[in-house]
Amino acid sequence: MNLQPDDFWTFSEWLLRPGFFLESALLQGIVLIVLAIVLGLIVAYVISSARYGPGEGFFAVARAVRDFLTVDLPGTSPTRIFALSRLAFKEAIRRRVLFVIGLFVVILLLAGWFLNPESDDPARLYISFVLTATNYLMLALALFISAFSLPQDIENRTIYTIVTKPVRATEIVLGRMLGFVAVGTVMLVPMGLASYIFVKRGLDHSHLEVVEAEEIDGRIVGKTDYVRKHFHTFTIEKGETQGLTNFVRGHRHVVTRNDDGSFSIGKPTGQLRARIPDYGEIQFYDRNGEPKEAGIDVGAERLSDGYGSAGISRLIGVAKGARKLEHGYVEGGTLGMAEFTFDNVTADRFPNELPINLSIRAYRSFKGDIESGIRGSLTMKNPGSSAQADPIEFTVEEYQIDEKALPLVRSGTDANGETRDLNVFEDLVSEDGKLQILLKCEDSSQYLGVTKSGLYLRPAESTFEWNLAKAYISIWLQMTMIIAFGVMFSTFLSGPVAMVATAVCVLLGFSAESIYDTRHFIDSNIERGGGPIESLVRLVKQDAMTTQLDVEGVANQLIKSTDAIIIYSMDAIATALPNLPRMVSTAEYAAGGIDIFSAILARHCVATFGYCLLAFLISYFFLKSREIAA
Amino acid sequence: MDNNSTAVADSADENTSGSGSQAAPIATGSSTTASDVVIETRNLSKIYKDFWGRKKVHALKSLDIEVRKGEIFGLLGPNGSGKSTTIKLILGLLFPTSGRVLVFDKDATETKKNEQIGYLPEESYLYQFLNAEETLDFYGRLFDMSGRQRKQRIEELLTLVGLQGARHRQLREYSKGMRRRVGLAQALINDPDLILLDEPTTGLDPIGIREMKDLILALREQGKTVLLCSHQLGDVQDVCDRVAILHQGELKELGRVSDLLKVQDVTEVHVTGLTDEAKKEIAEVIAKHGGDLKSMDNPTATMEDLFLNIVRESEARPGARRVTATADAASESDNAADGSKSGSDE
Repeated sequence: MNLQPDDFWTFSEWLLRPGFFLESALLQGIVLIVLAIVLGLIVAYVISSARYGPGEGFFAVARAVRDFLTVDLPGTSPTRIFALSRLAFKEAIRRRVLFVIGLFVVILLLAGWFLNPESDDPARLYISFVLTATNYLMLALALFISAFSLPQDIENRTIYTIVTKPVRATEIVLGRMLGFVAVGTVMLVPMGLASYIFVKRGLDHSHLEVVEAEEIDGRIVGKTDYVRKHFHTFTIEKGETQGLTNFVRGHRHVVTRNDDGSFSIGKPTGQLRARIPDYGEIQFYDRNGEPKEAGIDVGAERLSDGYGSAGISRLIGVAKGARKLEHGYVEGGTLGMAEFTFDNVTADRFPNELPINLSIRAYRSFKGDIESGIRGSLTMKNPGSSAQADPIEFTVEEYQIDEKALPLVRSGTDANGETRDLNVFEDLVSEDGKLQILLKCEDSSQYLGVTKSGLYLRPAESTFEWNLAKAYISIWLQMTMIIAFGVMFSTFLSGPVAMVATAVCVLLGFSAESIYDTRHFIDSNIERGGGPIESLVRLVKQDAMTTQLDVEGVANQLIKSTDAIIIYSMDAIATALPNLPRMVSTAEYAAGGIDIFSAILARHCVATFGYCLLAFLISYFFLKSREIAA
Repeated sequence: MDNNSTAVADSADENTSGSGSQAAPIATGSSTTASDVVIETRNLSKIYKDFWGRKKVHALKSLDIEVRKGEIFGLLGPNGSGKSTTIKLILGLLFPTSGRVLVFDKDATETKKNEQIGYLPEESYLYQFLNAEETLDFYGRLFDMSGRQRKQRIEELLTLVGLQGARHRQLREYSKGMRRRVGLAQALINDPDLILLDEPTTGLDPIGIREMKDLILALREQGKTVLLCSHQLGDVQDVCDRVAILHQGELKELGRVSDLLKVQDVTEVHVTGLTDEAKKEIAEVIAKHGGDLKSMDNPTATMEDLFLNIVRESEARPGARRVTATADAASESDNAADGSKSGSDE
């Protein structure tokens, strides 16, 4: 999992963006709500002045606002909201939405055939499958239940008996939203449990016997049988009856030597993880040991995406371009290295060793020794003095998280240039608690690539269950958002149209990055196929994306400017919409065995709340201004 | 119902309602002052427009009516005359194109007025998946009623509309008449001061219609105001104090039912126990005074009376088929029942 710059933001950094207030989520939220209010007032005035004339129209709008603030909002009663949400809940249950749970179970059962537990990283495969399946199923479900209910009530006129009671429009909207969220919750919980059981059981396997074991100086070294396309080696130390196998495919087993000399092999452990990472600051050095902003770009690393984090400042053209953390590479056998500086390295957090996780890429400029892999080294260094431990060499394990531990005592050179055993906390950690770890490539003309998230300390571990729950909370938040949007559209559109409108919002939200990308290329005059019309012309003329548009004169201008208008408006809409892909990607954390950051979950919570508030306001005014019986 | 009264009535006023005891409240109703106005429409107009704002129908033209406290007000008119539009405007379900509606001196679009209003829609638009008790409980919650209040009120109303036996059945299984009863019960859940009934008797059997009419009259006894719209003229005549007749969105007639229907130069006499000679003598007396005797017959009972009698008797003695019934017998037993009913109304 390659984290992006905004993943590292704390909650308050995200909300306020100190120094870059234009990018802040708070500003985006305020602008959205202000814009909604201003646009709402203008639209309301235009409509009501058409209905009652310009003077009366103004009073009608003023009255509606006054009613909202003085009557409807204070008069909103929890009892009524509860009654209405219970009704919405019952209605949805009546429409047999619970069948979706059955459908989900069927999907899981079928997936059991197709998901390959013999793959390289079965835990990732299983977890990301269940989370993605739940996610899209819930999004579709939220779309269906939320968009049809209110229009159906209006069509059946059951709404007549409700609005002729002292029920506020606020209560109708809130009641619906809460009722449907309750339905979604009732469905998510069993789906979550089913997923958990499915993942747990799908990854379970047992090695039945030890195929090889020999005793060397009282130490038993052996090999398990070959199950699910892998085997483990294990060692049982002298005098011990239990030992551990090595990590294969993210898990290991406990091997116990029985009294009669046979072995029994335990359940797989360690495949469902929730590592709590502690990231450091990264600094690259080039082959001459000069500090550089980025590592070497070995090509094919520049991908689109990463525009969204700039918020409004990108929309108004202040921030330009994608911001994506790319892998920077260090060259082997030179002074080139990546220097990670970790804060707050204390004996309390790391009592026994420094657990360190690596997810590093390798780039080969020649084939080399294909059997042994590329070697790298880690060096602990005191940022405040010249004390430095001896490098620890390792072989790079690509495409997986390589778990290592650095010892707390390591020979090296202390601040006075003497060679002795160095204690990490006494000699290598500076007075303000900082420790540097240098990553170097040891094979010359080969390269190692890392990002900030490629090397981290792991002071603690959370439970997989809680991490899965957090992933489900993220799905729940998305569902809540979509329900709010669905209810909003259903206050002024008919059921199917409201559903399509919500779906369009979801799709725009999902394709936001491509829209930003297109806009970026239009802005910076890079030929990349252009907007929708230009693309169509290119398709018909069978022109390549990167050539100049082969249309002359006015037609060219017309195509380009129409495209610009379309793309700019889509850009504005997409910027206003919730960043769903980001929320979906929390599944990546769970699948990658990394604890979902609280800051990220908190961001999603706040964003969801903001959008629900927006949808609530819009819904209220639409419902209030609507002639229910028309 | 009018033709079979045993008492000799001295006025043609009797035409308008079932018995003398029911006529009394009309008199008190007429003495209301302007401050007791519950619903007031001022120059109320409604034009239905299509999506582009083009005029489609002029459904209501400058309607000015007042409904006073404690009266039963009927809106009459053929289909499409603007009755339902008026009720929807009063409820705030529609917004007036011009003019105003005031309900309890508040604008009709204010939700607060609904606390004192009960509304029975044209068809009972209720949630089919709820049962009677859940339905009433739900609507009770909408009035922010406490759990105990709701429970008590639900019991009262289920007894009132006679649905205790069916309280746990989903409304989808109900007959039209039963749905109507639930609809009525939900309209009364908050003990409203103003009750709006849109076609209250459609879909009901004759017993139901009679019960509905008795209930409306009973509501007036309790000092409530009732506005109903209907094209069942007989029903309107039986219960309403005042009516407004609408046609093509215009108010054509507005006034007290008794005044509107009184035939000034005809005298009606109901007598029992006369011999043929006596009848002849009466005819002579009429002739002597210069009167023109239009008819002197044995009255026929209405189908409603016959039907109600048969059903009542069958409930009293299940299984027996009534074979010897005559119109007279029917009228007599009905009168007894009628009398007791109007007595209980007071």
